[in-house]
Amino acid sequence: MAGNFISEDERWDLVDRVSGCIVTYGIYRQSLRDVIGELTVVPLTGVPVAMAVLYAFWSIFGSFAGALMTDGFMVKLFDNYWLPWLQSVWPDPDGWLYFLFVGDPTADNCFEAFGMLTSGLFVSLGVVLWAVLIFYLMMTLLEDSGYLPRLAVLVDTLLHKIGLHGYAIVPAILGLGCNVPAVTATRILETRKQRFMMMTLLAIFIPCGAQLGVMLEVIPDSVGWVMLYLIAGFAIFGIVLDKIIPGKNPEILIDVPAYHIPDWNNVGKKLWMRTRGFLKEAVPFVMLGVLLVNLLYLGGVIQAISNFFEPLFVYWFGVPKETAGPLVAAFLRKDLAIAQLSAIPMTAYQMITSVVLISIYFPCVATFVVMLKEGWKQLLASVAVLICVVLVYGGLIHAIGILLGVA
Amino acid sequence: MKKKLSELDYGDFGTVCEISFNKSGLRSLGVREGKTLTMVTKQPIKGPVVVMLGEVEVAIGLKMADSVFVECA
Amino acid sequence: MAEKSKQTKKILMVGNPNVGKSALFNRLTGGEAIVSNYPGTTVDFTRGEFAVGGIFYEVTDVPGTYSLEPRDGAEEVAVSILHKEKDAIVLIVLDATRVERGLYLALEVVERGYSAIIALNMIDEAHDKEISVSASELQRLLGVPVVATSAISGEGIKDLARMTAKACKTDIARINAALEEKPDESVSTGGCGGCMGCGGCGGC
Repeated sequence: MAGNFISEDERWDLVDRVSGCIVTYGIYRQSLRDVIGELTVVPLTGVPVAMAVLYAFWSIFGSFAGALMTDGFMVKLFDNYWLPWLQSVWPDPDGWLYFLFVGDPTADNCFEAFGMLTSGLFVSLGVVLWAVLIFYLMMTLLEDSGYLPRLAVLVDTLLHKIGLHGYAIVPAILGLGCNVPAVTATRILETRKQRFMMMTLLAIFIPCGAQLGVMLEVIPDSVGWVMLYLIAGFAIFGIVLDKIIPGKNPEILIDVPAYHIPDWNNVGKKLWMRTRGFLKEAVPFVMLGVLLVNLLYLGGVIQAISNFFEPLFVYWFGVPKETAGPLVAAFLRKDLAIAQLSAIPMTAYQMITSVVLISIYFPCVATFVVMLKEGWKQLLASVAVLICVVLVYGGLIHAIGILLGVA
Repeated sequence: MKKKLSELDYGDFGTVCEISFNKSGLRSLGVREGKTLTMVTKQPIKGPVVVMLGEVEVAIGLKMADSVFVECA
Repeated sequence: MAEKSKQTKKILMVGNPNVGKSALFNRLTGGEAIVSNYPGTTVDFTRGEFAVGGIFYEVTDVPGTYSLEPRDGAEEVAVSILHKEKDAIVLIVLDATRVERGLYLALEVVERGYSAIIALNMIDEAHDKEISVSASELQRLLGVPVVATSAISGEGIKDLARMTAKACKTDIARINAALEEKPDESVSTGGCGGCMGCGGCGGC
């Protein structure tokens, strides 16, 4: 610290003098990528392009992960070969070991059996792995091409109305893959208010890729409704949080980088790293989750929780009291919880309500841990917001159902 | 003629002559006094503007764009 | 093992967002930092290491920042890392297509008395855009080593690793003095004076 600091003006002045001596600009010619760059950021063409991109994203996700891999191969493999084989070789169908590892001896599919080696393996390797893989592939293409900042400019208008700005789309999209890196990515927002709002809304309303993958399997026809409720919730509670949280809401100011053709090595590397991360961290969690939930069933804990919360569940949310079990599992893995819902008999609207509840209720344990890393005060505040949101929004969805005559 | 940046139309260009808000932030992205910029797009319903500075594109919120004054030919 | 502990130096990689720091980091260390094409990909730091010429370097990939007066959470991370490591070598990564804003940060770094070395990254991209930047002239003006690199093609990475040992301190007075000197003889690639006519060479 030699006392050698100069003022901002002097520094820029020096920058100009240095760069004047070292940089020479040639004659600039507009290239194709500049034209595409402009077309994708001008509203007239940019908005349709953005909708097409997001729609393509969603339909490729559904058809590859849901229809092709899971229904086409994995369901057959697990239900026709793995499950019957395991049921035939595992001794003592009435014993507790059978219950823990294989699950229901009369089940004819791997969703409902709910043993560690049946549902646990099926959910993680049969369903979620493929969803995560295809999701990350498409997300990587969006990231590496340079499209994300343009999308941010297009959605800024809307997000600015709820106290965020367009660049919040980056953690939102990362969160659709996995909420864990998305929580850390909220750091790109400028003020504490914006970061807290985004982190909270993200943990509550953005379902992760694993969750989406299982939703596509369990309730393929109602996923749209679930997403609609989540997006509406994001907007409603965004506005509310913007009103009650003190702090500044600065406007967007970002660099829009030039488009690049993704480097395939980099795409491959990222895909591998992220999938490996999933296999290493999520798979054991799903398996442990099944084990833990089964142990809690054996110990009668889940039944006790169900009975305790019965009035809340049945009268306020309008869902069966058995939903309490999945809600416990949801703390470990939300994908697992939604898989577990499929075994509970209920109406289509109750299913939509329960899936929305599982999404908005507590973040999974991994997300919880990274949120803690961003500060325990924010975490506590987030949890407080979350409890209010679950109670209010859960009741609201039930009310809408009653009004529509479907609940 | 001196205008607010937010008043430029698509394709207009001008030289930045005054920044009255968030000066350091804007400057660090290249929006500096004496620099020439071209308007690329203005988003509807009070959305941000996108300007081209040399070969760099920058998106700026509308109110911030209100605080930047440019000299047009 | 004894040799390792004898010669370990810390390097902090600092630069504006989206200038290819993480890609350069991966090239230098064989690391696995996430690389994407949007500003703010790296919001936390990543560590890695490499060895050259008997010296062992511990490298930290710092989140991108426009200045040392932080604007957002990722920039706060960057500034606090710099603050903690007063004796580290700072590897300033500049984007050759947008040198000015990078230079601003570079000046802030050298004013604070760090030993510095500059990587003039994305040099191939600058080439595509008909921008030429003279690394040698920049080195003369700033008084710290400057290496032109491309993290995408790998150009200049080995030179950068070798030159790291030569990282040094400089100050504003020295830069001002260098600007006063007539630089004529050293100019070969980039013309001085900012005239627009001479830049459009197709061959270079």
